[in-house]
Amino acid sequence: MGTAIRIQPADDVRSFAPEPDDGATSLREVPATPAVRHVERSDTAAPVGTLRSSAFRRLLRSEGPAMLLALVSIGLLIGFWYLATAYRWDFYIRFTHIPGPVEVYRDALALFGDPKFMTNITISLRRIMLGFIVATVLGVGFGLLIGRYRTVRGLLFPAMEILRPIPAIAWVPMSIMLWPTTETSIVFITFLGAFFPILLNTMHGVATMDSVLVRAARCLGANEYALMTQVVLRGAMPHIFTGLSVGMGVAWVSLIAAEMISGQYGVGYFTWEAYSLIEYSHIVIGMLVIGVLGLLCSGAIRLLARLAMPWQVSVGKENTR
Amino acid sequence: MNATSVPGKGHIEIRDVCVRFTQNGVPLDAVSEVSLDVKPGEFVSIVGPSGCGKSTLLNIVAGFLKPHQGIVSVDGSPVGGPGADRGVVFQQYSLFPWLRVRENVEFGLKMKGVSRSARETKARTLLGLAGLLSFENHYPEQLSGGMKQRVGIVRALATSPQVMLMDEPFGALDSQTRVVMQEILTNMWQQLQLSVLFITHDIEEAIFLSDKIYVMTARPGRIKAEIPVPLPRPRTPEMTSSPTFLALHRQLKALIREESLAAMGGELKEGGLAGHDWHVGAEGVGAML
Repeated sequence: MGTAIRIQPADDVRSFAPEPDDGATSLREVPATPAVRHVERSDTAAPVGTLRSSAFRRLLRSEGPAMLLALVSIGLLIGFWYLATAYRWDFYIRFTHIPGPVEVYRDALALFGDPKFMTNITISLRRIMLGFIVATVLGVGFGLLIGRYRTVRGLLFPAMEILRPIPAIAWVPMSIMLWPTTETSIVFITFLGAFFPILLNTMHGVATMDSVLVRAARCLGANEYALMTQVVLRGAMPHIFTGLSVGMGVAWVSLIAAEMISGQYGVGYFTWEAYSLIEYSHIVIGMLVIGVLGLLCSGAIRLLARLAMPWQVSVGKENTR
Repeated sequence: MNATSVPGKGHIEIRDVCVRFTQNGVPLDAVSEVSLDVKPGEFVSIVGPSGCGKSTLLNIVAGFLKPHQGIVSVDGSPVGGPGADRGVVFQQYSLFPWLRVRENVEFGLKMKGVSRSARETKARTLLGLAGLLSFENHYPEQLSGGMKQRVGIVRALATSPQVMLMDEPFGALDSQTRVVMQEILTNMWQQLQLSVLFITHDIEEAIFLSDKIYVMTARPGRIKAEIPVPLPRPRTPEMTSSPTFLALHRQLKALIREESLAAMGGELKEGGLAGHDWHVGAEGVGAML
């Protein structure tokens, strides 16, 4: 599952590099007209404001066309949704019972004040966190050991290769039988989803690391433990973060499926329950919330990657400038 | 500077070393019956045709490879594995990309358990010596090739090794940078008084840097000749046009040319070139080139 999909974290990290707000650009932007400059001098807070507005103008100039296109793109989607539901289009695909954007917006406002809905969100997030953290610790740990030691690889990898092609969702019935509570079984499903992409990418990271770095470390006196923690782990890190990004995506897929099947609480359960209770607008809200949460989680991974690999950001800056 | 290395230390002895690899199930001698010495404080180069086992020999001294037979020792103790008593500089720079320049230099000291402040002092001193102090907080990716290799050398020196093993360290650099690096290296070597075993295929580089040059034969690599370099120290770029330098250059070039031809001999004969009257004598080839 995880081997086929791989994204380059380096590029992601680069695109996240903050826009350099250096002195040169603000110098170029400030002397617009004498009048503006006069206002700046009289107002104490003006320098900050000018800087921000000049940065904003620069952003608008460089990103303006792209932002406009993005607005058009999203506008078309919502427009289509509105028309399809308002006129109850029925051409093989049926929009007859689908709630429209206005209805969804109205119900969403009501829902976000509802503590029960918020509980669903926090419970889903807690399950993701638990499953994902355990998957990270075990996936990276085993990935490093399997990648570095042939014996460990020979012992563990064949068994893992048998389990790997089984989608996490297929584990739902087994998981319910294995674990004492529904809660732990759902966390287990989430863990399984994230584990294999993280494991495989970590192994790949160890395998593709430049072996001359290991040799260099050894002749600088590094023992095996230092080699693992300070060289192999660091060297595999770009691939590990690829694994974390993919793993986070699969974890969400697995979580939502598990919540829909066996759940009590959670956004997946909420979305499925809305269907059973014929509260169709809640289905859309559930879907959107799942999308936003997934987006936030992958954003968090990218932020983490940037913090953990500052050397890659410094490389990226030179290219994105 | 180099407090831990007592003068007179850093003696590399290689005795009757053979290395055998298995290639497609066939055993193949990479290095055969090689014996050589690097005396304390001496700068010794090994030159030879590509594939002759120069790097294999260096990897044995570094402890990455075990010889099939023979003994390698540094200051009387046999080499058991890699260690910080032998600094190694690789052709591919091999700096840790996740560490800043100073952290790279400090790595060996950190492994030794040297305190943070002592590490910093030592690293900054050495970086100053190599003219890199203002780059201490850069990441390796931000440096040029020549600067990276200077960091590589400084990192290998940081643990105060008695010997330095350098595997074509300037092979990836352009010729101008290479000449400057050679001068920097001779300067540092003279200040630090350590033994250097230097692998190169560049004859000029070998003569300019070394006290003694070993020429290796084509595979299986044997020592073909041991040639002392009588040029005075300190070496200057002008010496490269002195008669002694040029004579040495001609001699070495001929020796290596012979071996390169020997390595390709079989194929050349089959290719029909053997029909021509190819007389490969040392002087003859040297004059031809």
